[in-house]
Amino acid sequence: MTILSIAFGTVFYLLQVVSGESGYAQNGDFEDAELDDYSFSCYSQLEVDGSQHLLSCAFEDPDVNSTNLEFEICGALLEVNCLNFSKLQETYFVKTKKFLLIGDSKICVKLGGKHITCRKMNIVKRVKPEAPFDIRVIYREEANDFVVTFNTSHLQKKYVKDLMHEVAYRQEKNENDWMHVNLSSTKLTLLQRKLQPDAMYEIKVRSIPNTNYFEGIWSEWSPSFHFRTPETTIGEMDPVLLIISIVSFFSVALMVILACVLWKKRIKPIVWPSLPDHKKTLEQLCKKPKKNLNVSFNPESFLDCQIHKVDGIQAKDEAEGFLQDTFPPQLDDSEKQRLGGGVQGHNWPSQHEVITPKTFRGDSPLGCLAGNVSVCDAPVLASSRSPDCREGGENGPQVYQGLLLGTGTTNSTLPPSFPFQSGILTLNPAVQGQPLLTYLGSSQEEAYVTMSSFYQNQ
Amino acid sequence: MFHVSFRYIFGIPPLILVLLPVASSDCDIEGKDGKEYQNVLMISIDELLDSMIEIDSNCLNNESNFFKKHSCDDNKEPMFLYRAARKLKQFLKMNISEDFNLHLSRVSQGTLKLLNCTIKVKGRKPPSLGEAQPTKNLEENKSLKEHKKQNDLCFLKILLQKIKTCWNKILRDAKEH
Repeated sequence: MTILSIAFGTVFYLLQVVSGESGYAQNGDFEDAELDDYSFSCYSQLEVDGSQHLLSCAFEDPDVNSTNLEFEICGALLEVNCLNFSKLQETYFVKTKKFLLIGDSKICVKLGGKHITCRKMNIVKRVKPEAPFDIRVIYREEANDFVVTFNTSHLQKKYVKDLMHEVAYRQEKNENDWMHVNLSSTKLTLLQRKLQPDAMYEIKVRSIPNTNYFEGIWSEWSPSFHFRTPETTIGEMDPVLLIISIVSFFSVALMVILACVLWKKRIKPIVWPSLPDHKKTLEQLCKKPKKNLNVSFNPESFLDCQIHKVDGIQAKDEAEGFLQDTFPPQLDDSEKQRLGGGVQGHNWPSQHEVITPKTFRGDSPLGCLAGNVSVCDAPVLASSRSPDCREGGENGPQVYQGLLLGTGTTNSTLPPSFPFQSGILTLNPAVQGQPLLTYLGSSQEEAYVTMSSFYQNQ
Repeated sequence: MFHVSFRYIFGIPPLILVLLPVASSDCDIEGKDGKEYQNVLMISIDELLDSMIEIDSNCLNNESNFFKKHSCDDNKEPMFLYRAARKLKQFLKMNISEDFNLHLSRVSQGTLKLLNCTIKVKGRKPPSLGEAQPTKNLEENKSLKEHKKQNDLCFLKILLQKIKTCWNKILRDAKEH
């Protein structure tokens, strides 16, 4: 019997304890649900008023009837054990200097002196800094940037001195397109090229503790500051600089065009002179026959031309003697020099072509329509020389004895002046070692051919 | 031979029991990383020292008995801080100012909280501070009071400096280890 009663008592006791643990009350309401309604959150603000600190708490559920509810903090206090909160609308706060700032405190919600819910909290881990203020934006034209500065009251505080700041800016027309920048100082530089020109911007800043001991939440945003970015700098260019840039542009363009136009004819020959091509030079020396040149073998076509028949080639000795008697005093000094100079560098042709001076009629080169190029066109004859003629020039000083006559009329003498336009007089170069005289060119100035003429004829 | 064994039985164990508390420390320092000291305690110590800047550090004519008995020697740092923190409470009665007392309380209470000592010290009547003898006249009492106050402030200043030095030593040793 005793044992049975004990067993029933134990079972009844267990049931009561279990029902109490589950929160079942007489009115059927769950006590756990009541505890959730009184959940609250707190934050602290250190040295908010001189050396006084502020601790604020509020219920997370705004529908809580807080008429008779009170807050109390115990532990981690100086000189006292507990402090009661004051109530301001729906917020409970306590303003005091008596926070130890080391260790945990216990914050409880009281109803009629009875603790409803308590929560352990470390005040230094729930610090909310004061909002920054006096934010300003200054445009620097020389640096093309914006300097953002702001102030915070924590610079003069003893405990929470190190903060992390967050600057947020946006273009006013883009409502939710905020740009964020984190910094630990109170000065920020924004580059102009990263902002839209001629646009209105809004900027604001907030702070959070950045120490290894004090932690907390973001402060409230500072009052916004509005500024406008300048327009693009093209219209503000210096006019002098603009004129100079335009003139230089056109100058460069003109030089490019001229270079393209004159490249082939003028510039390239100077910059990159082509090597003389003997074949082309000789072709140019020989003038092309005129288009309307009639070639004919009809003797009647050559009635205008005085053709002297060549009887034969005189012997060399007689030619030399003839030349020495008649020509030297008739030559000018310049001609002598030219002739003498021409002697050294000239080759005596191995070929011998005989033409009488009388056949040279400079007035009517057209009369010689027979195509006797050898009469009319001296350069052609010159080009017909063989390269062997050059070797003759190396054998020794050549005597240029002036003009020689290669006709049978040895007694004829040449007039002092030679109104030639073109013509070649050659003598028989049969005597070896003896130079032959050649006269090239229609004028005395073209008495001999030099290498320079190759360049000119090109 | 028999009395020799009694010597070892009844002589040495009590000796060990007496010496054991001296060798061991009953304090466990929690703030060895220095966060609490550098962010809270050091600020209050500096505030107190700044308020006593006009007092010369060599104001004590002879070294106090406290410093003769207690020093921040090796392995004795927690005990020194414990006794120094308890000594600070005696200066709350001076009522220099509210902020002064608050900083003093913060240093004392904060140090004791970080030390977490389990030592039970016998309650002794604290030495009187600034009490004048009633037999002398008022003027002499005032001057004695003032002189006493200066001596107490001088002692307080030296005590705070030694507390600061001892904390720095603890943190330095903690970094080395």
